[in-house]
Amino acid sequence: MDVSDILAAHEAKQKAVTVEKEIPLEVDTGFLTVTDLNPVDAESYEANLEEYLMSTARDGVQTLIASLFSLPTTSSPDGPLAQLPAPTTQLPRAKPLPKPKPLTKWEKFARAKGIQKKRREKKVWDEEKQEWVDRWGWKGANKKEETQWLTEVPANADVDYDAAKVARDARKARVAKNEKQRQQNLARAAQAQGPSAAPAPVEIRKKQIDRTLAVTRTSTASMGKFDRTLEGEKKLKGVKRKFEPTIMPAESEKSHNLAILAKLDKEPAAKKSKKSTPSSGGSDVLNVRKAIRTASKGKGSAALAREGSSSKGSKGKKGKR
Amino acid sequence: MRPLTEEESKAVFAKLANYIGKNIVHLIDRQDEPHCFRLQKDRVFYVSESSMRLAISVARPNLVSLGTCFGKFTKSGKFKLHITALDYLAQYAKYKVWIKPNGEMPFLYGNHVLKAHLGRITEDTPEHQGVVVFSMNDIPLGFGVTARSTVDTRKLDPTAIIVFHQADVGEYLRDEETLF
Repeated sequence: MDVSDILAAHEAKQKAVTVEKEIPLEVDTGFLTVTDLNPVDAESYEANLEEYLMSTARDGVQTLIASLFSLPTTSSPDGPLAQLPAPTTQLPRAKPLPKPKPLTKWEKFARAKGIQKKRREKKVWDEEKQEWVDRWGWKGANKKEETQWLTEVPANADVDYDAAKVARDARKARVAKNEKQRQQNLARAAQAQGPSAAPAPVEIRKKQIDRTLAVTRTSTASMGKFDRTLEGEKKLKGVKRKFEPTIMPAESEKSHNLAILAKLDKEPAAKKSKKSTPSSGGSDVLNVRKAIRTASKGKGSAALAREGSSSKGSKGKKGKR
Repeated sequence: MRPLTEEESKAVFAKLANYIGKNIVHLIDRQDEPHCFRLQKDRVFYVSESSMRLAISVARPNLVSLGTCFGKFTKSGKFKLHITALDYLAQYAKYKVWIKPNGEMPFLYGNHVLKAHLGRITEDTPEHQGVVVFSMNDIPLGFGVTARSTVDTRKLDPTAIIVFHQADVGEYLRDEETLF
């Protein structure tokens, strides 16, 4: 008996397991997605829309399932399980890209001259102390001239020449100069962003005056409630509430919550100590109330105290005799 | 959706501590996945960090719910626990009350627990302590506040109230519109 005809007929009914397309389908197993980049076949699309869509979808699903079955599996009580690989499709980021910071005057100059930024070590080696000290800050190396016990005095110096003061003034002047330059950089950056972004000096002054006025209005005995209002005076606006950002690093949020919890734990403890009732107190380890009940056989702490003192007293008398 | 402020966190933790005591630490410091508390339209949700990150892309008016709703803030700033928090409360409860099968239905209809319906109670429960109410076969049914301490309950008559009802699983049906 020749079954080849039957087999051929059966095979024709079953569609091919492998899908072949002009442009191969893009499969992202991690997201369980298939993308068909082939152009739509206009003829069959016009002829029978439903059938065409079905066949396209079927090809996609076939490819996806084939890729799923090629994954390594592990057995489980519910049947074999396959671990999906990490998705390969790049999703767009939720937030816009951060804008580049405006360059400072020095950065602009350095870029023009091709000066590379060198990282300056925060610590410097102190030959006298034989250890690393901070370049600035507490006990910083920049205060060495002010703190040394012996300083050279210039030949033409005044009688009241104070070397430490001169060095300190010079250092303070450097700090002030740096701060001034920083402010100038900020102003320049604000101007570069456009006149709308940078508030004019008049506007800043206006804001300052408004704030001062708001403070003075609430600085009377009645917090400004019974004061005569001037014509055209606006109602005071309250402070706007500010909240933490919705996304915080999980670690910081956890520590923040634990800190609040620790604060809460302290408060009831303080209240308890004020009352100082021995029966209600107790830690988690020892249930004091239960312990007292067991020890006094249900008579309470007062009975236990009486018993203890009476037995002690009798013992003491015995000792005297 | 936003994180809780310090006052709000305090209100929530103080209320939870009434039921689960120091076990709140297990809610905050979880081994499996970091979880956090978020406020959305007066409701406090306990949600895993990954779902919270997914939820930030939903606009506030469109966001109905996320994670587990623990309760809501009243207009006067008090925190009220909802029945939806029962899963966590039952898991970490410090003091428990078991009620007899004939007391289950009255409790699930929103009535207080009477002494006649009391099956078991955690030993040494103080007065006005938050307790989780279980059926005799250990299914959590709701929670409430004890009216008397365990010692005082012995002398009471059978119709006296032992646990004041606060929430029960019957609310899933009764308050379906407002619960979520």
